[in-house]
Amino acid sequence: MARELRNAAKGSGEDVAAHHGLVKMIPQWERGNRAPRERYRLLYLKIFKDALGDMSHSMGLATDLAIRLAEVRSRAGSLPGSGEIRALEASALAQPRKAMTPAQIRALAAEAITQLHKVADRIAELSALLADDAAGEGKP
Amino acid sequence: MTARDDQIRRVLAELDAHIAEVEASVTVLKALLADDEAPGDEGPE
Repeated sequence: MARELRNAAKGSGEDVAAHHGLVKMIPQWERGNRAPRERYRLLYLKIFKDALGDMSHSMGLATDLAIRLAEVRSRAGSLPGSGEIRALEASALAQPRKAMTPAQIRALAAEAITQLHKVADRIAELSALLADDAAGEGKP
Repeated sequence: MTARDDQIRRVLAELDAHIAEVEASVTVLKALLADDEAPGDEGPE
């Protein structure tokens, strides 16, 4: 804490006691034996305000990530399976189309299934990353 | 932001792009079939 106070003081041009003086005073402030002077109270405020600012920024990023994750998972969950895509392809090929040739329809269905596999791969990658996160959080 | 967050964001962006590709292809296939169901102009009156 003494180091934090000195750093905060350096940043704001305040003059504070020497390190050993702070190390002596801080436990007295913490025990309530002595009240810190105003300049020290202001330095404490600055230190905790900065720490809270960093924390709220990190929390904002985590929330944003969680929302995006939920959104993408929901979209992935509503995609048809490869069987359904094959069924759509078969129905589309059942009669001649003006808009697309059979080769184009087959290519489109094949591309959709390829992309579907890539979706599955990315979801597996994401799950592994999030599982690592969860395991990391459980560690002491 | 940590390296892990960056990695998650990268995978999410790729996932988003692949999902969009599948959605677009399926939309085209469904539109082809919807043409079958739409009432035609040439039907008997």
